[in-house]
Amino acid sequence: MVRIVDNDSDYDESSSLPMSQQEEWSDVVPIPQDDGKNPVCPISYTDEYREMTDYFRAVMAAGEVSQRAFELSGRVIDANAAHYTAWVYRKKLILDLGLDISEELSWVSEISGRHIKNYQLWHHRGALLALLLDPKSLEHESQDQRVQNPAIRNELQFVGEVIDNDSKNFHAWSHRQLVVRSYGIWDQEMAYVETQINQDVRNNSAWNQRYFVLTANQSADEFVLSEEVADREIGYAVEKIKLAPNNESPWSYVIGLLARHAPAMLYERLLPKINELAADKDYAIAVTSTPFYWSALVDIYEEQAKALSVDERGGVEAFAEEACDSLAEKYDPIRAKYWEYRKQALRTAN
Amino acid sequence: MATQLAVDSHARYFRICLSGLPHQMTSLDAARMTFVQLCLVGLTALGKLDEVCSAEEKKQMIEWIYGQQVLGDGTELSAAYCGFRGGSLFGPHDLCDYVAANSANVAGTYSALCALLLLGDDLSRVDRPAIVEALRCLQQDSGCFAPHPGTTERDPRFIYCACAISAILGDWSGVDKDAAVKYIVSCCNPDGGMTQAPFQESHGGHLYCCVASLALMGRLDAIPDQQRTLKWALQRQNCGYQGRVNKPADSCYSFWVGAAVELLGGHDLVDAAAVSAFLVQCETRFGGIAKFPDEFPDPLHAALGVVGFAFCNPDGFPRMSPTLLLPESLVDRLDIKAARRSNNGE
Repeated sequence: MVRIVDNDSDYDESSSLPMSQQEEWSDVVPIPQDDGKNPVCPISYTDEYREMTDYFRAVMAAGEVSQRAFELSGRVIDANAAHYTAWVYRKKLILDLGLDISEELSWVSEISGRHIKNYQLWHHRGALLALLLDPKSLEHESQDQRVQNPAIRNELQFVGEVIDNDSKNFHAWSHRQLVVRSYGIWDQEMAYVETQINQDVRNNSAWNQRYFVLTANQSADEFVLSEEVADREIGYAVEKIKLAPNNESPWSYVIGLLARHAPAMLYERLLPKINELAADKDYAIAVTSTPFYWSALVDIYEEQAKALSVDERGGVEAFAEEACDSLAEKYDPIRAKYWEYRKQALRTAN
Repeated sequence: MATQLAVDSHARYFRICLSGLPHQMTSLDAARMTFVQLCLVGLTALGKLDEVCSAEEKKQMIEWIYGQQVLGDGTELSAAYCGFRGGSLFGPHDLCDYVAANSANVAGTYSALCALLLLGDDLSRVDRPAIVEALRCLQQDSGCFAPHPGTTERDPRFIYCACAISAILGDWSGVDKDAAVKYIVSCCNPDGGMTQAPFQESHGGHLYCCVASLALMGRLDAIPDQQRTLKWALQRQNCGYQGRVNKPADSCYSFWVGAAVELLGGHDLVDAAAVSAFLVQCETRFGGIAKFPDEFPDPLHAALGVVGFAFCNPDGFPRMSPTLLLPESLVDRLDIKAARRSNNGE
């Protein structure tokens, strides 16, 4: 479970005493912070933080391996989740003490609400997962079986809750890629992507994930975009464009996909669909008043011109230049200077 | 509507931050070095550093920075931990049996070197070979860099730090440039944007780290489709700059994306007035620039907002290098060749 703000519910009376008065810590000589004579950007620490880090410095300097050091590392991390070596020490303690990885994952979940955009937290989680579940152990299972594995189910639930709270959390989507790629659970991810896009067609993180799933982690050189898949993706993008034409994501997605993997399909397969949309009386005005429609035309005509002979090119380039003018004057004036530059570039390429 | 930056107000803000940060900023404790750098960058970019910080104060700050240098004990084990710490909460220097207890971090090292240069230090007390060796240890097989030992973190932020460090020290022997370039190219997306690892979402912060790293390495030519990347960057402007498609404009991207645009040759293509107006809207009555209008400032958004504003209003401010958060005059004087604009093919 992800708790978003929960400072007081873990109040524990035994830990309300200063550490200097706790029997458990009586053998440790705390090490005060040496901030020099004239510290720069000094932080006005709370007494609690100052004391816990004094004791933490002492046990970590000694490389102490103990339950108390482990618990203290948790308190320090929760107070300052960017304490980069506290995480290193904590991971070492987990391994040296043989602690339960699932319990550690639960602890990470508990504190995550307060540190939901912290890099170290997410990397710690990824490292724990790799320790908990070796991908090789699932090699002979089907994707459906793998998704039922408790560790994987738990992970997908955790990251799903984070995305429910903040649908564009960069770390969360990155973590999903780690889980999907490590355990080969691609099918459920496409379904997840479509659910997210249905919830918010402007969620660019979800559109990016669609590309990730489509290519199933093959490099640009390896992935082959078939006509069938291209048509399906074009159809999908166009359907989503209809829902909200002035939305950069589907335009950027489909043009990027084709430009990278099958540039000829930009004018052979995408352009006819865009023209259809622009001629459709239900969508024409909404679509053709967006900068993305005109920008798409510039990209497509530019690509098309490359495939034509010098004699044939003229008409297509004229269309592209007109689109640049429309963008500069009417549909994307904030980038007027860019569209003028683009028009000149088209001319020079001629 | 004001289109001028409240220079004196921001200078006061940076001065206050240098003197102390509130306990609510405890989560910055391991990155204090970077916030020290950012305050000094902000003051430098405003042309106010000498006015606000006396020679004596600068000397004191230099001492604090050197106090964070991790020198290692010459053993192979400690090599990867050398450089500058992010703050003084680690250590102590002379008492750690567990080597990770007193660890530098490439971001701390980069920030320290920049801050020292801004304060007029000559880097003579910097253990250059130790830093270069640490970089060599921290570069991964993939070409990317980890920030310090013991973490699975690795991404373009640390490639950038490694490149900036190498450029400042004039010593690239700690960086396998071909491998770093290869990794960056793998982070170039179909939409022209760049990101932290292959297949992740295009992001303005990583765009900067990738493009600036390539610029420092003299390898901007490695970008697969530079025109598409320039377009992606320019399309992040909706008034100010956003960091990702369909996200709100945020003042710090006027540096991350704005500087990338500079490096890609797009200076003349930006609607400078719109960026400037947005940044003025993000100014706060406390001094300092916030992430969004009507929020509290922080040194990162304040410094990067000032530099981003200066890119759009070059006549009003000292010229800052887009690759190193240092003034161009300093880059020239120190002959940091990698950061020269001429190196970037402009």
